[in-house]
Amino acid sequence: VSARRRWVDIGLTSFTYLVLLVMLAPVLWLVASSLQPNGNLANGEYDLLHPTLDAFGDMWRNIDFERYLANSIVICTGAAALATAFASSAGYALARFRFRGDKAYGVTVIGTQLIPGSLFLLPVFLGFVWLGQNTPIELLDTHVGLILVYTAFFTPLAIYFMRAFFQAIPRELEEAALVDGCTRFGAFVRVVIPNAAPGLLATFVYAFLFAWDELLFATALTEQDAETIPIGIRNFIGNYNEEYDQLMAAGVVSTIPVLIAFFATQRWLVKGLTAGAVKG
Amino acid sequence: MTTKTLKKPVARPVAPPKARSAARGRERFAYWLIAPALAFMVLVHLIPTAAGSFLSLLDLNTFTFQQLFGAPWAGLSNYDAILFDSANPLHSGFTNAASNTLFYTAVVVAGTLSGGLGIALLMNRAFPGQRVVRTLMLTPWVVPSFVVAVLWEFMWQRDAGIVNKVLVDYTGILGERPTWLLGENTMWAIIVPSIWRGIPFAMLIFLAGLQAIPRELHEAAALDGAGTWRRFRYITMPLLRPLLAIQLLFGVIYSAYQFTIPFVMLGSNPGPSADLMMTLVMRQSFSNNLFGYGAAVSTLLMLAMLVWVGIWYATFRRDFAEANA
Repeated sequence: VSARRRWVDIGLTSFTYLVLLVMLAPVLWLVASSLQPNGNLANGEYDLLHPTLDAFGDMWRNIDFERYLANSIVICTGAAALATAFASSAGYALARFRFRGDKAYGVTVIGTQLIPGSLFLLPVFLGFVWLGQNTPIELLDTHVGLILVYTAFFTPLAIYFMRAFFQAIPRELEEAALVDGCTRFGAFVRVVIPNAAPGLLATFVYAFLFAWDELLFATALTEQDAETIPIGIRNFIGNYNEEYDQLMAAGVVSTIPVLIAFFATQRWLVKGLTAGAVKG
Repeated sequence: MTTKTLKKPVARPVAPPKARSAARGRERFAYWLIAPALAFMVLVHLIPTAAGSFLSLLDLNTFTFQQLFGAPWAGLSNYDAILFDSANPLHSGFTNAASNTLFYTAVVVAGTLSGGLGIALLMNRAFPGQRVVRTLMLTPWVVPSFVVAVLWEFMWQRDAGIVNKVLVDYTGILGERPTWLLGENTMWAIIVPSIWRGIPFAMLIFLAGLQAIPRELHEAAALDGAGTWRRFRYITMPLLRPLLAIQLLFGVIYSAYQFTIPFVMLGSNPGPSADLMMTLVMRQSFSNNLFGYGAAVSTLLMLAMLVWVGIWYATFRRDFAEANA
């Protein structure tokens, strides 16, 4: 390797790390700002050697963060679990079986992504109001209501996600189980699902990440009891819009759960995200 | 369920009875597998979408809201007001939001894809810490959009914000402090964070594509005397084209439907320079109770996306036909 080539190499590597630093800078700024008193944020003079956790305590009390956090965790976990369950069975059907209407079904699943949320939001809202007035089913401003809606939202892409994982599992596994006397459903549950465990986990995290960030439907379908974190933060901005230390602290706390979930599963998540892309 | 009607016998090569019933059993099993997802799709996506399009034909507002689907019939008058009635303030609101959305979508998609491709090319070589860098590079994509909006709103502050500190105080790139959160610059205030959050995902997809290109192709071309640029132009780009196409398709749809970033950063009325289609629809529907109008704008937005899918399909269909062959 020539000396010139080696210097180019070092240069490119340093540049890569510089790009990484620029991409991470806003996140680092978020964390740094959450550890400063509000006065320092207002005049921009940070004292990084003396961090304080005050903003976290203030934010927890003033935003009533616990309530929103609990709602978000319940709703997103429920929706991600249901979406993963439905997507694994539908994804398995698309990966392994040919049935009349399979192509049409596949296209319709993707087609749902074309519909602007605002178009079906109002009828869903009206449907919830109607159910509340005419039946004992309470869906407006409840965990169940948002879980059902989010399940429907994140199932379509999760189906394609799971399909890619199932396609990577050899058919012989199920065939052997069928020969051994398993029913089709038994083979799916006892043989295929355990082999697709990393895919299930990745799909769950993927659906969870998206549900965590959903704001449009949460705005319309919650009033008080089922409000999620983005709504809580939006309300807080409306009430105290200058308290940036608390907002930054709330931002950090809102990001930590998804960041942990992402880094813990990124090996499989990255595989799921890129598998469909590379195979076309 | 539709399983009954779908099972109508069709002309098929005659198979032994046992094989035929096995095939039918497999098909029935497949319908059971898709049933839950299908039920949710019909109940939450398809029926409400049809109902939403129907509402766009009604005069549904504060006064008629109690009547719901029985509100006075308006025919196409909502559409007429939006598209052609230049005396109607809703018309100018719509054309303004439409052109903003077009600009936002074009810049965000172009910025995200070119930034993602650039970083992917930079990372597609062996260097110490490659895997860790790739994972850390994804961080902005994991930060929720509502946090991105709050964070950047803070960074865009005119006096204390870090953006102006860097641009004006530390580097002197700009002579005086721009106001980002008011007036014309608001469009850039929502574009920059959107690109920042979008780049990692594009990078991930392009990098996976780059790593799937056999090294021998580049080596052979290099032996034949092709330089870096020619190899990029004639080997890398054609092989990345299907990935570019897919990201273009979903990137445009996703950006055209952007709501969270302008709504959290700038409020329910982001102002004339940053009002996008979704913020317009939500404000008119839920703050001003103009539900028929909102439904009509949403329907138009969906039609625009259908046109986009048509254009996309005509442009890229051959790439996918080749991939499948």
